[in-house]
Amino acid sequence: MTLTQILKTLVTCILVISFLLVTVSAYQQHRRISALAELSDATTAIVTRLSVEELVYVDNDGNLHMYTIDPAKLEGLSTRREFGGENFDFQVSVKYEAEGEHVLGPFGSTPPEDRAIGSLAVSCVLYENAHFLSAKLSVMAWRA
Amino acid sequence: MASLNNRGVADVLAMAFMFVILVLAAVFMHSYSLRPLRAATDRQLELKSEHLYKTLELAWVEPYSVSFLRGAAENLLLEQPIVPGPYLRSAMENALEYLHPPEYAVSVSLSYDNASWELSWPRGAGLGLDAEKQFVRRGEVRLTMAGGENIAVPVTVRIFEIAEI
Repeated sequence: MTLTQILKTLVTCILVISFLLVTVSAYQQHRRISALAELSDATTAIVTRLSVEELVYVDNDGNLHMYTIDPAKLEGLSTRREFGGENFDFQVSVKYEAEGEHVLGPFGSTPPEDRAIGSLAVSCVLYENAHFLSAKLSVMAWRA
Repeated sequence: MASLNNRGVADVLAMAFMFVILVLAAVFMHSYSLRPLRAATDRQLELKSEHLYKTLELAWVEPYSVSFLRGAAENLLLEQPIVPGPYLRSAMENALEYLHPPEYAVSVSLSYDNASWELSWPRGAGLGLDAEKQFVRRGEVRLTMAGGENIAVPVTVRIFEIAEI
């Protein structure tokens, strides 16, 4: 075997190994990105459920006001949800401006530092002192 | 051809081809893997446009007990709306400045017959009709006029990527 043949074989081996490494790396990245996308969707689902179901203001006639947050419901809120067989914890807060920014919350446990966290803030309405104020509903969610 | 083979050119070409394939495969696989995250981000922005529309529809322009969109519809159709035009614009700009998604602009437009009422934040961002990425929520505000006529005013709330302002 000449030196040239040895070099060609070596380069071929390096290329094949590189191809395998790239494939494995891409697969790992795909799994990581898919997990983040699932977390993002879970955060979206939590926000939707809070704003159209669990935190909505109900008036004296029993009418539901979707997208309108009743601040009294924030305190007793359970901050764990299950989606697709996975449990997610979350922290929720509501911010609004009335002569300066006010913050209700945060409610729920503190987000862990060693896990990925999904975060979403959407606009909503806050029913405060018989007024409908524009506000922001913020949710941070993570895998339990 | 035999002479090329003798010099090993065919092997070098094969290896160069493998290298090109390797680079292309790496680029393709890594860029493709980001698609689910981009789609999830778009779903969140779609949700934000829905929430922004509902907020403008339901939240009051303080100290008036009238919602932002109803106030805009009255400004479009009535000579003497409950919320004065300049005050409504200022209040809605403040609300949009506080509520708009970071790095995105927001526009609100109402139109009826040949008249229209438009507002965008940041100022000068336009309505975003030609924006490459935009999330649109359409609806209508119903007003009952003095004569009992019921008018539906089409409303469009658009969140869009800011280009150059």
